Amino acid sequence: MTKSINLKEKYPPGDFAIWIIIYVELVTFALLFLGYTFSRRADIALFNESQLMLSQTSGFINTFILITSSYFVVKAVKSIQSMTQESYKEFNLEASKWLLFAIVSGVSFLIIKITEFSHIFGEGINLSTNKFFMFYILLTGFHFMHVLLGTIILFNIYQKTKIFGYTLNDYRGFETGASYWHMVDLLWIVLFPLVYIIR
Amino acid sequence: MKKYLEYVLIILIVLTIFAFLLGYLKYVSTSLVAVLLITTFIKGALVIDYFMGLKDVRLKYRLIPIIWLLVVISLIAVAYYLPVTGA
Repeated sequence: MTKSINLKEKYPPGDFAIWIIIYVELVTFALLFLGYTFSRRADIALFNESQLMLSQTSGFINTFILITSSYFVVKAVKSIQSMTQESYKEFNLEASKWLLFAIVSGVSFLIIKITEFSHIFGEGINLSTNKFFMFYILLTGFHFMHVLLGTIILFNIYQKTKIFGYTLNDYRGFETGASYWHMVDLLWIVLFPLVYIIR
Repeated sequence: MKKYLEYVLIILIVLTIFAFLLGYLKYVSTSLVAVLLITTFIKGALVIDYFMGLKDVRLKYRLIPIIWLLVVISLIAVAYYLPVTGA
């Protein structure tokens, strides 16, 4: 028993396969971040001018939303980890409450991002407008898809908590989904200052 | 339940407001880029350690995303501070 508890703490939470996916995603986004940063050096004035067309306020609100949603997800995970054999229903319900907050946050992020995209595309901007907007659309569009997938994953976990599907011996799927969501948050933490703020 | 998660959340929000205000008030100068990048590293490290829960796992699993973050932030800094030649 002691041995299994020790082993559990040595590995990242959730299924190990999700960590392979997370590491691959981190490398992919790193290439895009660096592509943006080093392309900027070729035409700094163009990048600075184009950046002014972005709404820093919506970028900030979305950062706030994602950070808070990550907190809700951690609280949900802590609830599940705190359960005992007798109280698993109670802790599933508590986790579902936190997850619902996180899902609402995820949907809010997506709505704000769609509004931002509508504004940008409404101005006639597309992938071929210039290099700044090419990277902006690629980076934020790719990240948008990750938030969408993350929200769907959280919704599936939420549904399972509603039927008390997680038990003391089976909550690895819960941690796997949570880890994915935190990766989405981590990527946005780098993306926000890079694309919206730093000039 | 321990309160450390709430402290982490507060730090993340404060650093985000700081970055936003610098941008919103157009205070982002070349020297402040370094400050923004350092705060971004702190935020990322907090998410990795406390939200992803890697603080308590084997060091190598924790180091992979931390090194990723460090390399990305460092190369962004290089791109911003390296003089542009031949323009």
